[in-house]
Amino acid sequence: MTYAQTVAMGRWLRRRAENVLVALLTTMFAGFIIQIFYRYFLNNPVGWTEEVIITMWLWTVLWGAAFVLSEAEEIRFDILYSNATEKLRRICTVVTGVVAIFFYGISLPATYRYVAFMKVERSAYLHVPMNLLYSVYIFFSVACICRYCWLVYHVIRGAKSPATDPAQIID
Amino acid sequence: MPVSPFTLCIIAIVLLGVLGLPIGHSMIVASIFYLLLSGLDLGTAAEQILNGLFNSYVLLAIPLFILAADLMNIGSLTDRLLQFCLVLVGRFRGGLGHVNVVANMIFAGMSGSAIADAVGIGRIIIGMMTKDGKYPVAYAAAITASAAIIGPIIPPSIPMVLYALISDASIGYLFLGGVVPGVLLGIGFMVMNSLIARRRDFPVEPNIPMREIPKITMRAFPALMLPVILLFGIYGGVMTPTEGAAAAAFYALFASTVLYRAVTWRQLYAAILTSGKATTSIGMLIAGAMVFNYVVTIENIPTALARFIGGYDLTTAGFLLLVNAILLVLGCLLEGSTVLLVVVPIFIPTAKALGIDLVHFGVVVVVNIMIGLLTPPYGLLLFVLANMTKQPLSAIVREAAPFIIAAIAVLALITMVPDTVLWLPKLLNYKGN
Repeated sequence: MTYAQTVAMGRWLRRRAENVLVALLTTMFAGFIIQIFYRYFLNNPVGWTEEVIITMWLWTVLWGAAFVLSEAEEIRFDILYSNATEKLRRICTVVTGVVAIFFYGISLPATYRYVAFMKVERSAYLHVPMNLLYSVYIFFSVACICRYCWLVYHVIRGAKSPATDPAQIID
Repeated sequence: MPVSPFTLCIIAIVLLGVLGLPIGHSMIVASIFYLLLSGLDLGTAAEQILNGLFNSYVLLAIPLFILAADLMNIGSLTDRLLQFCLVLVGRFRGGLGHVNVVANMIFAGMSGSAIADAVGIGRIIIGMMTKDGKYPVAYAAAITASAAIIGPIIPPSIPMVLYALISDASIGYLFLGGVVPGVLLGIGFMVMNSLIARRRDFPVEPNIPMREIPKITMRAFPALMLPVILLFGIYGGVMTPTEGAAAAAFYALFASTVLYRAVTWRQLYAAILTSGKATTSIGMLIAGAMVFNYVVTIENIPTALARFIGGYDLTTAGFLLLVNAILLVLGCLLEGSTVLLVVVPIFIPTAKALGIDLVHFGVVVVVNIMIGLLTPPYGLLLFVLANMTKQPLSAIVREAAPFIIAAIAVLALITMVPDTVLWLPKLLNYKGN
């Protein structure tokens, strides 16, 4: 696969990940509407919506952080970093990237054990095994490791270092 | 002397943060480092984040308030609201500046995010203010940024939801406590605007003929109803604040699609995606803060600090002054949610021990942190407006200075006179803590 094809595929995947994020948030929103409707208009409160909503929230945060949020949209402590020279910033990116890879990496087995262990519990209303609901954290950890490997590799190869663009931070 | 794991954890957070790792990741990585040094199970980080996010139902108000604001911004609600404000205050000197502040106060009653307000209202009003060179662009940007901080002070409010999470104070009463300070800020900004307008001879808007007024009011009516629905829903005991947030988002969707028919599918998708990303970036901070606060708790830091400060015989006023000073400085350097989630929890046990009301403390802290959005070098609102208007940051800062002074005066007032905050909650049966 050529470089251009890799980039094109990356873009395609990013858009699909965005579709998923929109679907998660829409489901959360719909869950709330159903919940309010059942409670106040049908006088028949349902519990499962709460579980769906909170699962969607958990997944929105971790899925978005893993696959959708770009480096420019991340919230950073920017004052020193963005005023450093490009060379210094690249060194910073490599150092912090390697540290992040190391710690997400060494905690991965224990993280996996925790999530796998949660299969003994089931959610209160829908009786879904908790390891399924919590599996998003594994995606998140692995994606972080991959992202920082990719970033470090490309910065070493001469790509520009990332910086927060405050205008892109939404809140 | 051996260095404690906790000290190393703090050093790691600061170092990783300064070197440019996103703050959420810095907190998670440094906390894993702490777990490793203390010989604790490394899976604890995942456990804290997953259980924390899964069990804090109140946090769900955050994505919903973000969504409500984004949905309002794609509809023509903002535009109609501004026309209505023009009728109210356009005829005074510096009229469009007043319109800006009043629109933000009304908008604040539906949105809980300062950035969303600045973007939504700013996009339209800056064009109106700078057309034919009526106002300098930097002034328009500065007053837009300043007025936007009212958004999270008048309820609903995302920072107050975060504060409720860390302090266990009631969201409902926190929201009520923000009303008077929000109005005071609005008045303060309008006074500044009048003074500046008189001195620099800013224009008056042409009078709107009487017969136009009912039509403009009708057009704005659905937008004006939203704060009313929210207030009655939440304080009438019909809805929880979280459900109120969902109702607000639903109403915004209904108003922009059905009533105003101003939204395409593509815009709707884009709005939800923007909300999703905002939810993610603030959610990552919350996730990081959840692990870090776990570390802080097992180290018993807040109690230690309470004991330390207790040893100094600090008065209530002295403590509040100290906290305000610390937060104003931190607000210049750090993003608001980070300060709220990481620094503020450390002060809460001391505040409690000194008998400070936690709703009062919360509102003071939130107003303080909102001022941080305006103070250089790291004031997010300044960046957003600089980017939107293509003005140099320094020009906007210079124009914003009088408004920052007005905001600090209001902060001092509400700090020293707790009843400015607590009057309204007490009116609705708040007993205090």
